[in-house]
Amino acid sequence: MSELPPITYTLEYPYTRTTGPVVGAFLTALRDGRILGSRCGDRVICPPLEFDPDTAEPVAQDLVEVGPGGTVKSWTWIAEPTRKHPFQQPFAFALIVLDGADTALSHAVKARGIDAMSTGMRVRAQWREERASAVTDVYFVPEADAVDTYVPPGEGEVELTEHLISLDFKEAIHPFRERFARGLIAGKFIGQKSPVSGKVYIPSKGYDPLARVAMTEADDVELPPVGIVAGYTVITPVQYYGQKETEPYIRASILLDGADQPLGQQDIKNIPHDEFRSGMRLRAVFRPESERKIVEMDNRWGSTGGVIDHWEPTGEPDAPPEKYLEHLF
Amino acid sequence: MSTEEIAIVAVAQTPSYRHYNDTEPSLLMTLVNQILADTKLDRHDIDFTIAGSCDYLSGLPFAFVSNVDGFGAWPPVYESHVEMDGAWALFEAWVRLSMGDIDLALVAGSGKSSPGSPREIFPLQTDPYYTAPLGFDPVSAAGLQAQALIDAGKATERDFAEVVSRSRRSALANPNAQVAKDVSVDELLKEPYFASPLRKHDLPPISDGASALLIARGDKARELTDKPVWIRGIDHRMESHHLGLRDLTVSDSTRISAEKLGLKSGPVDVAELCVRYSPEEIILVEALGLSGETNINPSGGPLCGHPVMASGLIRIIEVAERIRSGEAQRGVGHAASGGALQQNLLCLMEGGA
Amino acid sequence: MAERSAVIGIGQTKYARRRGDLSIDGLVREAALRALEDAQLTFKDIDAIVIGKAPDALEGVMMPELSLADALGAVGKPIHRVHTAGSVGASTAISAATMVESGIFDTVLTVGYEKQSDGNATWALGGGRSGSQGAGGSFAPWIRKYIEKSAAPEHIGWKVAVKDRQNALKNPYAHLHLKDISIEKVKESPVLWDPLHFLESCPSSDGAAAMVLTNEKGVARAPQPPAWVVAHAKRTEFTQFPGRDTVKPAAGVECAKALYKKAGITNPIRQIDCAEIYVPFSWYEPMWLEGHLITEEGSGWKLTESGATEIGGDFPVNMSGGVLSSNPIGASGMIRCLEAANQVRGTAGDYQVDGARVALGHAYGGAANYFAMWIVSSEKEPKFS
Repeated sequence: MSELPPITYTLEYPYTRTTGPVVGAFLTALRDGRILGSRCGDRVICPPLEFDPDTAEPVAQDLVEVGPGGTVKSWTWIAEPTRKHPFQQPFAFALIVLDGADTALSHAVKARGIDAMSTGMRVRAQWREERASAVTDVYFVPEADAVDTYVPPGEGEVELTEHLISLDFKEAIHPFRERFARGLIAGKFIGQKSPVSGKVYIPSKGYDPLARVAMTEADDVELPPVGIVAGYTVITPVQYYGQKETEPYIRASILLDGADQPLGQQDIKNIPHDEFRSGMRLRAVFRPESERKIVEMDNRWGSTGGVIDHWEPTGEPDAPPEKYLEHLF
Repeated sequence: MSTEEIAIVAVAQTPSYRHYNDTEPSLLMTLVNQILADTKLDRHDIDFTIAGSCDYLSGLPFAFVSNVDGFGAWPPVYESHVEMDGAWALFEAWVRLSMGDIDLALVAGSGKSSPGSPREIFPLQTDPYYTAPLGFDPVSAAGLQAQALIDAGKATERDFAEVVSRSRRSALANPNAQVAKDVSVDELLKEPYFASPLRKHDLPPISDGASALLIARGDKARELTDKPVWIRGIDHRMESHHLGLRDLTVSDSTRISAEKLGLKSGPVDVAELCVRYSPEEIILVEALGLSGETNINPSGGPLCGHPVMASGLIRIIEVAERIRSGEAQRGVGHAASGGALQQNLLCLMEGGA
Repeated sequence: MAERSAVIGIGQTKYARRRGDLSIDGLVREAALRALEDAQLTFKDIDAIVIGKAPDALEGVMMPELSLADALGAVGKPIHRVHTAGSVGASTAISAATMVESGIFDTVLTVGYEKQSDGNATWALGGGRSGSQGAGGSFAPWIRKYIEKSAAPEHIGWKVAVKDRQNALKNPYAHLHLKDISIEKVKESPVLWDPLHFLESCPSSDGAAAMVLTNEKGVARAPQPPAWVVAHAKRTEFTQFPGRDTVKPAAGVECAKALYKKAGITNPIRQIDCAEIYVPFSWYEPMWLEGHLITEEGSGWKLTESGATEIGGDFPVNMSGGVLSSNPIGASGMIRCLEAANQVRGTAGDYQVDGARVALGHAYGGAANYFAMWIVSSEKEPKFS
């Protein structure tokens, strides 16, 4: 059989950060083409902080304009930028002491090459044409490359800054999970029976936590596609970024016959919510073999939705609570 | 400082894997079972358990919860978790045993960096308003720190390469190392810059792995082993997060911790330093005041295997193992967190009955 | 060597759905500066800092002890960060108490916080995926199981929801101030996770809570009465395993037993004057009354029904309004510990329990598999009879 493709997933959320007074003033000014520092004792700190950095005690806010020119205190040439960097071509990160400030700002310098960079060099702020009320509204260039442009001021004070955090992950499917997934595609439920405690887990994690023992392929067992509703929730979906559910739905834990651990998060499609109950006996109805695919299953999350079409009542009498209550977890 | 005698009585670590194709709990389970076998203890002889790990490495909020599977929690256990390197879990365990009412604590650190892209994840450790949106990553912070060292006349690129060359050669004797090679400084200096003045080999590899150890109080330690490794003190300190507010060429936090621990009141036979970027070794050696008598990073250090969240605790384990073997009598393990050595922890250890 | 620790300063932010006026720095500082002011100390008097919060993905800030170090006066000092899911706030407070009790540190600042409005808690609780069942979805089946086993009438949950919101009206820091809350309103609010109604569920809040803990020497210098930390305990079990009692988890039972034993408490309902218990969904009040051995099994709901858990009752619970009225996740457990301290210091204002001498602060988390609790008292060595 062919290798299952590696699991890929993206953890993504557009965070909206409230800035508070100091970061807000800094980002407002930045949007409007100016850079602010905070006067603290006999120093000007840039970027400005809400407190005295020496003592962490509150200070009266005294924001002053600094830059747009500055001097590079240290720098590093980034030969292979990441997707999160401000430039996708090689560039420098630098510590820049802006004119009028006493401390350095960490920011990006767009230069023609590493040879254009040196400690002590002069740089100048440049504003992006499209500004987003974020620290990325500005970048720096060697002074000789600078072109000063008019930066039209925006409206109101910046109180929010957005940051879309999107991280990609990729990993091979773990050995047991692979056998579980292949079983599903073949229309079978493959669990594991602990050689020590005798407990049957599905999907197994490849070990028995009760006995603290790893399990191998020799411990695999096939379970019937029939079981008991050990517990369920009717969920009214809350809308959030990335949420695909819109209507109330059931998530059930189904204890397959012979298992000690229920299959969690099962999507119950065809049974009316008011008829659904714990103890009900159900049978898994698999999708046609050609349509079965492993979707949204990774090494931790076990969606079986691409393989099991729905669960149907077997018509048998309900199981008594003692059969399943201690397995409701 | 603690007045209780507390010793490391058993240690375990996995190799540093480029990709470990199984769960993080399974890594931990192997280590816990090994420690229990080595000490002939039952899981429930252990009074307190604490682990360090990081949700973001696996891209799953609450990922740490399943790690409990690995170290055992039935019947229930007295347990805690820090979202930090296992070295800080050791700190909390050492503090807890110092209360004097319990005897044994199990400490672990684990992490799998291989599924994600650390250079894209780690900018999230930085200021969420001023630097995280720039994707400002620890490699870049290390580059700024390295350039500052050069500009201050405190180091050269050749010095960085020498750290790498020596570390990789040392790692040849470390079965848990991920990168080990006999490579000359001149060869290393032929490589192109990655984050100037750093080259790729000045960075740690991306690793998966775990580490664990067991600490015990006084008589309990002597009962469990004839070679206890006494913890003479743990001290950790933070620096400013804002690079512009720091002198990047020094590590004041490390220097102060070394003073508090009395590091120089005796010989330092071995030092395992959490050198994630080669210039960090130069800064740490100066801050610790180490001389040529100290064997520095005989394991090869994080440059040769860096399972984040386990890596700092591994430094302490590497020192403890050398004290147990008699190769060293007194040594220091160092752990670090954050860009440009923002946070540093020292654990001073000594052999003796 | 073991020292006794005490809370000598407490500080809270105003809790709200969104603290739009604050950065994360500003949020933690609002609580920390109030705690320092209460103790009449400044950052320079602090030897170490412990922070706690729930997953980093709630704000998208990884290992925030790094970026918050300056704001919390931690530069040059030890700072560490605890994360034990929903129980984290109490675990963090316990970690801070331990640092003082060890004799290694004299005075410790501890802060729990969450800036939930920067992100989305339901998203994070669902692992950042679609179809999150949220905390309510995880707990609803166990709540239903409790109702079946105990034969509790359905209005018990509604009653708790009303009581805690009415208490919150006395607490200026509380997020929810539902002036017209009533049994009818709770009952008629939508069912989010059967059997839980919207108004039986906790809100999502921004907020931070902070405490200053110190040893006997520090207490002698403190301007306000201390809350002595008499005992603390933590227990964890697996999130899922065959045979698990999800209604009354063994970890919760053992945690309570260890706590009472350490404190010298033999009859918790009589010897504890009031409790701040982590109740994010109304039914958890009776469930934890039973689960932590305050009542017999099957009787927790009867105590609630009798009115004993109201302010003025025999065993007041969640006088501050509880998690049902304010829920910045990473702070919620610390708020329970802090409010217990507030009661025994006699500083709880309009929701003060008269003569409170011994109070319980409690939190749980994960799949109800993490527990952390402490007992505080106005007396250093309270005797129980």
